[in-house]
Amino acid sequence: MTKKQLIFIKGTKEGLVLRLDDQCSYAELLDELAKKVSDEGFEGQAEVLLHLGYRYCNDEQMKEIISCVQQTEHLRVSKIQSEVMTVEDCNRRLLENQSETYVGIVRSGQVITALGDLVVIGDVNPNGRVVAGGNIFVLGRLKGIAHAGSTGNKEAVIAASWLEATHLIIDSVVETMTDELTVLSEKPEMECAYLHTNGSIAIDRLQDLRLLRPNLSTFKGGS
Amino acid sequence: MGEAIVITSGKGGVGKTTTTANLGTALALQGKKVCLMDTDIGLRNLDVVLGLENRIIYDLVDVIEGRCKIHQALVKDKRFEDRLYLLPAAQTVDKNAVNPEQMRELVLELKREYDYVLIDCPAGIEQGYKNAIAGADKAIVVTTPEISAVRDADRIIGLLEQEGTIDPPKLIINRIRQHLMNKGDALDINEITTHLSIELLGIIADDESVITSSNKGEPVVMNPDNRAALGYRNIARRILGESVPLMSMDLPKISVFSKIKSIFTK
Repeated sequence: MTKKQLIFIKGTKEGLVLRLDDQCSYAELLDELAKKVSDEGFEGQAEVLLHLGYRYCNDEQMKEIISCVQQTEHLRVSKIQSEVMTVEDCNRRLLENQSETYVGIVRSGQVITALGDLVVIGDVNPNGRVVAGGNIFVLGRLKGIAHAGSTGNKEAVIAASWLEATHLIIDSVVETMTDELTVLSEKPEMECAYLHTNGSIAIDRLQDLRLLRPNLSTFKGGS
Repeated sequence: MGEAIVITSGKGGVGKTTTTANLGTALALQGKKVCLMDTDIGLRNLDVVLGLENRIIYDLVDVIEGRCKIHQALVKDKRFEDRLYLLPAAQTVDKNAVNPEQMRELVLELKREYDYVLIDCPAGIEQGYKNAIAGADKAIVVTTPEISAVRDADRIIGLLEQEGTIDPPKLIINRIRQHLMNKGDALDINEITTHLSIELLGIIADDESVITSSNKGEPVVMNPDNRAALGYRNIARRILGESVPLMSMDLPKISVFSKIKSIFTK
């Protein structure tokens, strides 16, 4: 009986693709991988894409596999692809993509945090703080501190029916809304703040959001 | 079973103690049995404002630590027969001498005997505040038309709203100076209520006689002709469930004719 091949190597434009078998035992796979990597006469530098299939590897195992491949100086792992994820990861990803709603006034000293988008129905008073991994929408007066894209999302926006915040933070860019700031309008009604391509925070009319962040809308089509 | 109302503000010096003394007196004038409770342990002065300082024998901490019975510590205000009592705070220890659980029990015991237990809260949001709100069913937030007082009121309202056991707080705006509001130099009533967005219980005009009467140990509310007193009486009636319209803050207009007359009569 011939032994089943556990590792398939394929060359593509971007580099090598290593497809690892997802049914055999982990030890067996690691053994085979070490052999394959040292056997093959690799030359030069190649980027490797690891494809794990339906095998779930924890961080420890992932590291082990990567270090195994990188034993030879010719290979460097650039990307890992897997078809599976844990329930925990899945829930986190769901939370990051959903929008949470807070109804009431965010008062001085209170902090409201959401992983994904945050919708506040009510005012955010001075010294109140709203933080979201995604966008922040305030149906009311935003007079406190708003931090959108807190997990490193530069595309996040802050929109409010009345935008008179003391501090606006997007990703890690902070803007204090002092009197000298020219972007602050007299009547800050229906406005949104976003990270301009020049790296600073800009404020525009809410109507312009459709053009500034076309991906914000999740509706497709319509008539 | 009566109800316990805590009077708080966050910021110091906005008139919590004065409000407690005057509301308590006004409720007693309306025929209710009232107990005022000073929880500002270490910095008591509700007794001074009421003019009862000399009659204190035991205090709140004595009651909690079992050195005396509640009725021994209660100081009766003789001006109101049997309707107004004060439970004074201790002056020699600090606010950590009691804990919220003990306060809750104490307030519960007082509620059995009195129609209203008014709790005078210390400034700040630390231990003293936590003790004061522990036994309360309702809360009144006092503020003045100053940004700093309104900010602190906002913070305190946020904290009170997180307490599940207390009804939504109501607002008293104290020390209103109408001429400043008219000129736009002070926050106006509308601005404050929309900012804090809680129910307005009443407004009190800024009046010098509040200070002079406090110094004499007689709450201003006992003088029925005073503007500030009227404000407190209206609030007491609203607490009792009457609907009383908000009083006008404008001073009586002096006509041109009477002005001219006054020049000649000088």
